Amino acid sequence: MAAAAVHVSGHDLVAVRYRDVDPVYAETRSIRLVGFMLFLISDCILFSAFIFAYIYLRTSAPTWPPMVDGHQLPWFDTSFAAMNSIVLFGSGVTMHFALENWKHLNKQKFNRWLIATIVLGIGFLLGQAHEYSVVGITWAGSTMGASFFTLTGLHGFHVFIGVCYLTILGIQANRGVYTGSKYFGLTAGTLYWHFVDVIWVALFFLFYLW
Amino acid sequence: MHAATSTTHEAHDVHDHIHPAPEGFVRKYVFSLDHKVIGFQYFFTGLLIMLIAGSFAELVRLQLTDPKGAIMSNTAYNEMFSMHGTAMVWLVLIPLVTGALGNFVMPLQIGARDVAFPWLNMVSFWIVPIAAILLFSSMLWGGPHAGWTEYPPVSLLDGTAGALWCAAIFTVGISSTMTGLNFMTTVIMMRAPGMTWTRMPLFVWATFATALMNMMATVALSAAVGALFLQHVFKVPFFDPARGGSPVLYEHMFWFYSHPAVYIFIIPAFGVISEVISTFSRKPIFGYKMIAFSSMAIAILSFTVWAHHMFPSGLAPWLQLPFMILTYAIGIPTGIKIFSWVATLWGGRIYFSTAMLYALGFLITFTFGGITGIFLASVPVDLHAHGTTFIVAHFHYVVAGGSVMGFLAAVPYWYPKATGRLMSERLGHIGFWLFFIGLNGTFMPMHWLGLEGMPRRYATYEYFAKAFPDAQFWNQFETGFSFLMAASIGLLAFNVIWSIKHGKIAGINPWGARTLEWTIDSPPPYYNFKKIPNVFDRPYDFDQPMPYRNTDNVVAPYPEYGAVVMAQPAGAGA
Amino acid sequence: MAHGTAPSPQQVRLKGLGPGFWSVTLVLTLISLANAWYFLFGSIDWIMPGSTNPVANVTYDIDGLFKFMAVFGGAICIYVTGYVIYFAIAFRARASDAPDAVGVPIHDAPTLEFWWTALPTLLLIVLTGLSIVVWYKIQFGVGSATGLTTEVIGHQFYFEFRYPGLKTSVFSKTEPMHLPLNVPVRVLITSSDVIHQFWVPEIRLKQAAVPGLVQNLNFTPLRSGTYDIVCSEFCGIDHSKMQGKLIIEPVAAFNKWLDAKKQAAAAGGGVVDLSGGTALAGKALFAQKCAACHQIAPFDQKLVGPGLLHITDDPAHPTLVTGQTPTSAHIAAILQNGFTGPIGTMPNAQANGLAGKDIANLVAYLTSLK
Repeated sequence: MAAAAVHVSGHDLVAVRYRDVDPVYAETRSIRLVGFMLFLISDCILFSAFIFAYIYLRTSAPTWPPMVDGHQLPWFDTSFAAMNSIVLFGSGVTMHFALENWKHLNKQKFNRWLIATIVLGIGFLLGQAHEYSVVGITWAGSTMGASFFTLTGLHGFHVFIGVCYLTILGIQANRGVYTGSKYFGLTAGTLYWHFVDVIWVALFFLFYLW
Repeated sequence: MHAATSTTHEAHDVHDHIHPAPEGFVRKYVFSLDHKVIGFQYFFTGLLIMLIAGSFAELVRLQLTDPKGAIMSNTAYNEMFSMHGTAMVWLVLIPLVTGALGNFVMPLQIGARDVAFPWLNMVSFWIVPIAAILLFSSMLWGGPHAGWTEYPPVSLLDGTAGALWCAAIFTVGISSTMTGLNFMTTVIMMRAPGMTWTRMPLFVWATFATALMNMMATVALSAAVGALFLQHVFKVPFFDPARGGSPVLYEHMFWFYSHPAVYIFIIPAFGVISEVISTFSRKPIFGYKMIAFSSMAIAILSFTVWAHHMFPSGLAPWLQLPFMILTYAIGIPTGIKIFSWVATLWGGRIYFSTAMLYALGFLITFTFGGITGIFLASVPVDLHAHGTTFIVAHFHYVVAGGSVMGFLAAVPYWYPKATGRLMSERLGHIGFWLFFIGLNGTFMPMHWLGLEGMPRRYATYEYFAKAFPDAQFWNQFETGFSFLMAASIGLLAFNVIWSIKHGKIAGINPWGARTLEWTIDSPPPYYNFKKIPNVFDRPYDFDQPMPYRNTDNVVAPYPEYGAVVMAQPAGAGA
Repeated sequence: MAHGTAPSPQQVRLKGLGPGFWSVTLVLTLISLANAWYFLFGSIDWIMPGSTNPVANVTYDIDGLFKFMAVFGGAICIYVTGYVIYFAIAFRARASDAPDAVGVPIHDAPTLEFWWTALPTLLLIVLTGLSIVVWYKIQFGVGSATGLTTEVIGHQFYFEFRYPGLKTSVFSKTEPMHLPLNVPVRVLITSSDVIHQFWVPEIRLKQAAVPGLVQNLNFTPLRSGTYDIVCSEFCGIDHSKMQGKLIIEPVAAFNKWLDAKKQAAAAGGGVVDLSGGTALAGKALFAQKCAACHQIAPFDQKLVGPGLLHITDDPAHPTLVTGQTPTSAHIAAILQNGFTGPIGTMPNAQANGLAGKDIANLVAYLTSLK
């Protein structure tokens, strides 16, 4: 079945595109997908280890925020972080649309949605930079600072890597590295970007809502 | 009889694509993507570091020949045992059993041309020498002093050396995680047509279970040493009680990895033992399914028992209970394996090759070490034994008497496949007896010395020698026997190198074994299999023909060479 | 490749379970019984010192567990080792075999596998139960209401012992720890610097001394004598030199010793010179010496001792624990002489290792916190 003039769902297009036509690529893609999912699982466990440390330190502290030099440290500003979170989750939505448009062979729309994702991702990072400057605690000063900066810093590092990754994907896509039927790199990038969102849900809850 | 048809797609285009051969010295031997070459690289790196770390252990043993400390200062001693443990765990054991054995053997046993991500595999190897440089360079600043565990706050006194230690461990952790991911994907996705999960060789099951632990647990170690590094360099107070941190937190994070780590050491050895015992008894492994599933059970349970390393260390009392119960529980699947292997010996036709000797020795020493582990699972007994040489004895019985023995069985077993030549059986036999006797002599007295009151990590033991006058004798006894072990490893290194030129030509299947690697040339071509074979049964039925179709070589279903060599008196080999 | 066309290989022909199987099993059983007899009725003093005459109540229980495990664990090792050696000999390949001879092609034996799973499981369940009983006794013991509570603080590289009502401490470098016979004791354990471990081998109990945490051990001494206290968690350069002595003695002798110590400590110090103290030095000293037990937080937020924030002007607590007004002089007096009150015992300057300008610096720091 060649590309039909009638609109079909992305899933059907995928099946048409390679599973039956190019079994070699189908197998390669499956292998890469399993490997990439395992990578994301191990990354989850990395965050979980630091989250365990944060929960342990927080539940064993006599007060929270902890006392430093006679003063209790300030709580975080939930409203700013909530706005920043919306920026990040928004970028997850835009990435979803970017990939969908790629599958539907709409390169221009793909580019627009990808750029929106990258811009929102950078926006999130800038928001975090602002948050770091106003939060009123230091990395080395308390266990609150230790856990907050280490966890959000690790997450921010992942976002930064993600922004670079998406930029490279965008350049590659426009150079023709990916086609309508072979675009595993874009799938991986999307999965990674969603993973970064999921981690942020956990961190936002743990630091700003709890 | 066996079904003549396979259940999945046959002669698939995907598998039969052979890449062009690598060219040039660098591509072939330095930055190789070939899992066999990478396996060699891990093997030689691990063996070299084993010689260095083993020498540190000998210095430790020499120091203990005198209760006042025979040859060095306390500081130097502390550095020696810390470097010995650190290097052995991360730069010797894990690279050898996962990187060397797993890499070389597993893809061959599943009928694949390579692992899922060859480039990642290459990077995973090259990280190990980098980590080794970081670790050994820490000795320029005095090295780590607080053992391979480097607990804060005392490890923070190690300064730059401590930070370098953290960096080295973090680095090698990346290699382990990537290897685990790589091997899991390979086993899940790249088995030959017809090789269902329950037709896989037991070494592949072992590699898979190990890869799962490697992938999931090592990142927790990265977090632990990463946080310790941050405290060293940036004073971030995760583990500083003066600023709300907790040293016990480090222990939790560290041991969450380090307990699965000890199963990472042993489960590949279990896999080797299964292969070796079956082959050299000429009968199927007893209880295949139980052995396969118990490996997975151990892998999963290993994540639930870490705090048994922390019973007297600041754990909330009510927490001790579940960890005690789960630690007992993990003894059951292990026991099942031991009994199954012993049952495999029953009614067999047993050939005493070097590999088989190590396997038999393993059954004795690993069982003993496992039983002392059961002693330690009980909180009340552990409250007495923790921190003493009883612990040192326990883990050396299971690690040296288990993991290392399994590795020493694997080397003569697969060396012929890797190089095309047999290792010297005579040197192998001598090496086995040196190792077995040396191991027991070195570590058996530590059991009672520890329970009598001799702590571990003690540079001097004058107080103990006063209370127990025969303490010095036993320590000297242990030191003497330790040199037997050292001689054995030295002999192994010699045998490996000597046999490359002078070993007997091995042929395709010297042992008459039945897994897929024994259907291709020795050494295998870079593409492993000309045609990917089809599998239609488990590889352990020695009274049946090999359960494959479409193999490269038409091998007789019965041993051509090994049995003849083993059965005939010396000098009459084919 | 061809399959199914080659002649069947020669198989092992077995009568029953093999030549001599039951004889070997009998021998192994006898050895296991001898092992059991030895551990149950023999003296294991050579491996568990003082086993025949337990030093504490828990010693007896722990040794009992050990013996139970030695009996059954030993039996497992004996059988496994014995069968490995016997099978290797009985079923060895012989020169007269055909080169393609194979062993008995058996894959499993469900009944056997059931029993070798069920019996060890049962054994481990019994062992778990026994361990829990002993565990409970050790962890929760007899409370300090009827017995004695003492404290042990780990330092690099000595132990510090503290007693109720005694303002000074006893240091393992110069003196032994004393405990009364037949009185249930709860030992509270912490550390001032790195992790140490308090272990008396002949009692069989150890517990970590962790900075920032207070752990406890519970036991009742049953036998007088002098015993070693050993640090068993690596704590630095002189870890191997960190030991002490424990004297267990009848109650009368113990009380006499303790009273003598209290009298010696009763002589207090003079007025402390507070000039020249700096808050900055005091802050550093506080983190090093005091933070293990005190937080800079409101009074009610105790770690071991009360919070010290606003010590000079806390409206909820207008006096110090001594009942005196919170002036610099009175704060200095507590630091100099220590104090024992409802919360516990605050060690004096000698116990805390305060010298020179230390008290002045600390007072300057504490009074600077607003």
